[in-house]
Amino acid sequence: MRLSPKLPTDTDAPSSLWNDALRRLLDNRLAMAGLAFFAFITLFCYAGPLVYRFNPEAQVLALESTLPFTTAHLVEVRFDPSKATPDEVTTLEDFAEVYAQNPEAELAALATGQPLEVNGMLFTPLTRFHVFGTDAKGRDMLARIMSGGRISLGVGFLATATALLIGVAYGSISGYLGGRVDALMMRFVDILYALPFLIFVILLMVLFEDFEHKILLVFLAIGAVEWLTMARIVRGQVINLKEQEFVLAAKATGVRTASIITKHIAPNLLGPVVVYATLLIPAVMLLESVLSFLGLGTQANAASWGSLIREGQQAMRSAPWQLIAPSLFFSATLFAMNFLGDGLRDALDVKSAKD
Amino acid sequence: MLTFILKRLAQAIPVLLAIYTITFFMIRFSPGSPFSDERKVAEHIIAAQSEYYGFNDPVPVQYLNTLLQHLQLNLPPITSHPGLTAADIISESFPVSLELGIWAMLIALTLGIPAGVLAAARQNTTLDYAPMSLAMVGICLPTFVIGPILALVFGIWLQWTSVSGWSTPTDRVLPSLTLGLFYAAYIARLTRGGMLEILSSDFVRTARAKGASEFRAVVVHALRGGILPVVSFLGPALAGLVTGSFVVESIFQIPGLGRHFVEATFNKDQSLILSTVLFYAGLIMLANLSVDVVQVLLNPKLRHK
Repeated sequence: MRLSPKLPTDTDAPSSLWNDALRRLLDNRLAMAGLAFFAFITLFCYAGPLVYRFNPEAQVLALESTLPFTTAHLVEVRFDPSKATPDEVTTLEDFAEVYAQNPEAELAALATGQPLEVNGMLFTPLTRFHVFGTDAKGRDMLARIMSGGRISLGVGFLATATALLIGVAYGSISGYLGGRVDALMMRFVDILYALPFLIFVILLMVLFEDFEHKILLVFLAIGAVEWLTMARIVRGQVINLKEQEFVLAAKATGVRTASIITKHIAPNLLGPVVVYATLLIPAVMLLESVLSFLGLGTQANAASWGSLIREGQQAMRSAPWQLIAPSLFFSATLFAMNFLGDGLRDALDVKSAKD
Repeated sequence: MLTFILKRLAQAIPVLLAIYTITFFMIRFSPGSPFSDERKVAEHIIAAQSEYYGFNDPVPVQYLNTLLQHLQLNLPPITSHPGLTAADIISESFPVSLELGIWAMLIALTLGIPAGVLAAARQNTTLDYAPMSLAMVGICLPTFVIGPILALVFGIWLQWTSVSGWSTPTDRVLPSLTLGLFYAAYIARLTRGGMLEILSSDFVRTARAKGASEFRAVVVHALRGGILPVVSFLGPALAGLVTGSFVVESIFQIPGLGRHFVEATFNKDQSLILSTVLFYAGLIMLANLSVDVVQVLLNPKLRHK
């Protein structure tokens, strides 16, 4: 089954590079599945909380590590029946042990769903359904996965944007100017390549751990590392392009340098840059998660998927779902992004065009 | 060849100096001190400690002193393990990391190369798609997902292996697998790509035309050239193994250098951080150099460049 729009016939306008690429992308089912899943996960993380209204930070100790797909039965305890907020939320077992006078009868009464008054205290039955259960502090796993996804995706995009900005600017200047400037600029990149960069990112994260906006630091650090490859790719493309006949023709007919760069060179750079950026997003998310997993990245109030997996690993003996649920979401997202990136690469690869 | 090696070693000197300088100033100008502790420590003890570790000297003096100590391989004492030097920590824990890396690389090569060769020799059949889909899984799944899941399934549910430590042979299984699977997947893809290119070249066709068996054509003739992308990948792979060991050693609580480095950064142990970073940098450069040498030996085209 073809998913692409009708192919252009001879009478239609000639197919452009971008039309061809779009057609190839639409025909690549793995890439489209990746795109669909990626759209779903973005929607899930950003719009999900509108539907699934659990506060990812709300700790309910009575609910610690409840199983996924089960309904937890709780009791709200009010020492003063007129109060709006409960003084305590407790499990049925604790209620029977601590508050009940005649446990069997009172538990049966609560099971009807009606509030119950004993000794001047008001007990209201409460049922909560947590899709993926709760974590060790009684926080809803699914809500935490949504908020963790926002952090992971946010870091992925912002750090990629940082890398993109530096890399494209650096690479195109170096490539277009050429000569001694180019040699000097690329030598600098070579030296940076030789540095063990993740070690520096780790150092940066730890040494400035008291920094207020740590998440800013995370994507600045990652972006500053990842621009090197982008700069190399862009430079290679620019050097290639500026020798092409159509650029020479534009120069010969007196087109201004600014126009040559924006109208002739930039559109041709777009392909490799888009492909590399798409593949960079999962790579950056991975790097951020490694930092979080080591306990160096985003923390406590802004737990990314990496932090959730770290917490899950610590609790995996007694509560394996706390490890499995965030791992599934994270891996599936990385899969989707990689398939999409590979599909884009195949679709935009100018060398293999006109099949 | 000798001039090539010497030239590369000479190029490494300014890079190592740059690494030393960046690390030194990053540590010196970061907030916090190695002596900030929950316990109250008397002022004069902190003063005496600072004097002992040389933190009271002016920064340029510290910079030169520490540099000289590293040049003489006489590493300064470290604050997180009083009485020891970074050399003690490195010589004790690096062999553990090295062993882990070697096991991981062995797993990667023995799984990756045959899978890649098989996939290339049987292109577009099930024998190609199945290992390549698995390889995609191996590349996408991060180490810190594979590790805990393996520990959960084989260590806790099936009770086949242990889930932490580094004393018995079964302790080695899961960490090495965790670290090796990504590289196995990557090497399988690289081998397949390299082999596909070589298998369609003229000399392989000649070999087949002269009646060489399929095995001989693929393994004896084509493999030598087809494996070149894997060799050039080994340099970056070693750098990746170093950082991968941070994660794996932390998952499985292995007393390797990676764990010591991460702990040193947590403790703000300035001397240990500095010495370890320099050690890692030197290691990675040495690995890149040896990979380049092997590449030149394997590929005659590069010899005359």
